[in-house]
Amino acid sequence: MGGMGELGIGIGWRSEIDLTVERLPGVDFVEVVAENLHRDHLPDSIAVLRERGTPVLPHAVSLSLGGADPVDMDRVEHLAAVARLTDAPLVSDHVCFVRAGGLDSGHLMPVPRTREALDVLVANVLAAQSVLEVPLALENIAALLSWPDAELTEARFLTELTERTGCGLLIDVANMWANARNLGEDPEALLDGLPLERLAYVHVAGGVVRDGVYHDTHAHPVPQEVLDLLGLLCDRVSPPGVLLERDDHYPSDSALAAELEAIRAVVRR
Amino acid sequence: MTGARERLAAQQSALLHALLAGGPAPAGFDEAALRVEADALLAKRRRVVATITPETAQACGAEFAALFAEYARANPRRAGSRAREDAAAFTAFIAARERRWWRRR
Repeated sequence: MGGMGELGIGIGWRSEIDLTVERLPGVDFVEVVAENLHRDHLPDSIAVLRERGTPVLPHAVSLSLGGADPVDMDRVEHLAAVARLTDAPLVSDHVCFVRAGGLDSGHLMPVPRTREALDVLVANVLAAQSVLEVPLALENIAALLSWPDAELTEARFLTELTERTGCGLLIDVANMWANARNLGEDPEALLDGLPLERLAYVHVAGGVVRDGVYHDTHAHPVPQEVLDLLGLLCDRVSPPGVLLERDDHYPSDSALAAELEAIRAVVRR
Repeated sequence: MTGARERLAAQQSALLHALLAGGPAPAGFDEAALRVEADALLAKRRRVVATITPETAQACGAEFAALFAEYARANPRRAGSRAREDAAAFTAFIAARERRWWRRR
C-alpha cells in the first residue's frame, strides 16, 4: 500500500447505504455522523464493521466550536460516548459555528478570521478536549461568503489553532476547491501554509456548479479538480487516510467503488 | 475573554439574523454572497424537511419551495430545536393555511 497511511481509504457510513458500505471492496475505514448515532447502542451495520476490525471514526457537526457561546458539554459528552462505543482512535468536528443569537443555521458557517475569534475557538476546543478521551481533529469548511476584516490567512488561523490546542487537521480538499472557486482563495498557498504533520485524514466529496457558484453538495460525483487537489496534497505529505463523503442521490455500488478506486489511484501514484 | 465572546456573539448573531430571519445585511459583507448563502441554507433546510415529511412536500406540489420559503422566513430555526420539530411545524403551517383557504371560500 505505497503512499498510504494507517487508515487507508474510507467512506462515510450512512444508514441509506449501510449494506453497500459493508460489501464495497476496498473500504479500510468508515466515518459516522456522531449526532445520528445513539450513545448506548450501535446500528447493526456498524457493529458488523467493528467485528471485522474496520475503524469507525465519529464525525460531529453540531459542537459549534467556533461559536461565541461556551461549548454545549452535553454535545461533547455524546461525542465522547459514541467514541467509546465505536472504540474510535480519534473524533472530529469543524472550524465553524452553527448557533448564534438563539438561531440555528442548519449548516456549517465560517468564523471570522480575527485574533478574538481565534481566542474563543481555542478556549472552546480546549474545553471539548477536556472531556474527550481520544484526539480531536478539526476540519476546514466550504464557505459561500467571507467575513470582512480578516486579520489572519486561513493557513495562519488553522496553524495557530493546532499549535495552541494540539488538535489534528481533517483537511477537506473539496472544501478547499470550493473556496478557491467561490472566494478566490489560493488552495496551494493554503496547503503550503498548513502544518501537514498534524494531518489526521482527508475528506473528498462531490458537488455541482449552480448559477456560477460551486456547491459542495456531497450528492454529485467528485470533480477531477478535487482529485487534482488531493494529488497536490499527496505531493506534500502521505495522508494517514482519505475518506469519500456521499450524503444524497446515492449512485450505484459500482459507481461508488469507482470513486474510491480513483481516490486510491491518486494516493498511490 | 468575556468581551471577546460578547463581540463575537454580536457579529455572529447579526449574520444569522440577516441570513435566516430577514435582518439587515451586516456591514462589510458582499450582498450577493449573503443572498447565495441565505438561499443555500434555505434549500438545505427544505431538503431535510422534505426527507422527514415527504407527504407534506408532495401535497404542496409545485408550490413546495415557495411555501417553504414563506414558512422559513417567519420561523427561523431556533437553537436547540430538532429537524423533526421543524418538519412537524411546517406540516402544521400548511394545515393552518389550508383551513384559512377553506374558510375564505
